[in-house]
Amino acid sequence: MEAAVLRYRVMAYVTGVVLMVLCFVGIPLQVAGHPAVANDVGVVHGILYIIYLVFAWLLARRLKLAVRPTVIMLLAGTVPIMTFIVERWVSRRFISPALAGEARPAAPVGR
Amino acid sequence: MDNTGHGDAAVTGTPAQAQAPGPVWRFLVQPRWLGWHVFMVVSFWGMLWMGDWQFHRALTGNALSWAYTFEWPLFAGFAVVFWAKTIRDEFRIRRGQMPDPRAVAAEAALLPAGVTGTLQVPAGQVSAVQSGSPDGDEDEELSAYNAYLARLNADAQDHGRR
Repeated sequence: MEAAVLRYRVMAYVTGVVLMVLCFVGIPLQVAGHPAVANDVGVVHGILYIIYLVFAWLLARRLKLAVRPTVIMLLAGTVPIMTFIVERWVSRRFISPALAGEARPAAPVGR
Repeated sequence: MDNTGHGDAAVTGTPAQAQAPGPVWRFLVQPRWLGWHVFMVVSFWGMLWMGDWQFHRALTGNALSWAYTFEWPLFAGFAVVFWAKTIRDEFRIRRGQMPDPRAVAAEAALLPAGVTGTLQVPAGQVSAVQSGSPDGDEDEELSAYNAYLARLNADAQDHGRR
């Protein structure tokens, strides 16, 4: 579980940073007539987003999330800044309780 | 699909499931799920359409579009796999072959508050423990165990934050 969380977090931050570079550096330069940055960073973000999708989805399945939080998590990689906000939200709302739940030895007693 | 889920839905009994009698697959036509179906169909065709658009751009000499020509259909395929797995999971939950994640999550969310360890024990067992120990001995043991659980949870919480 910890490994899945780490993979998701790394990809959330990397994808988020690259997307911010694309939107706040690449697009203005493209508008100003220099499309090279937007093109290159765009392709990099495209590839990173595929990896982000896979890791985010694997974690969502591990956490057994409902449809809505899963979709929010997956689409966060396409909206600037959203990955950071969603990562914090997912951590507080789902990851921390899940890690706490995993550590508790009470479940075998109940079964 | 079979009709065996009828009984399961009644037994596992979250209110939403109890309100919907009939075969298990009926949940697929609930308004909430219909909304998701529409969302998935629209996004699937939308992504294929984007791929087609990029393909035509690529043919006119935009080399960058070749990457997106393959990327969009990949996303569309991912959406289909995602949706299929989601629906399969929902069937399993409603047939009682898988614990309801919402119930599990709600239970887990309560834990950080402190000594909620007893919540994890099924209702039958709680009453068995309580009826089996009229004197204070076992209760003391139980509260000591709960304190131990709370400590473990606190530790786990710290790890989660780092």
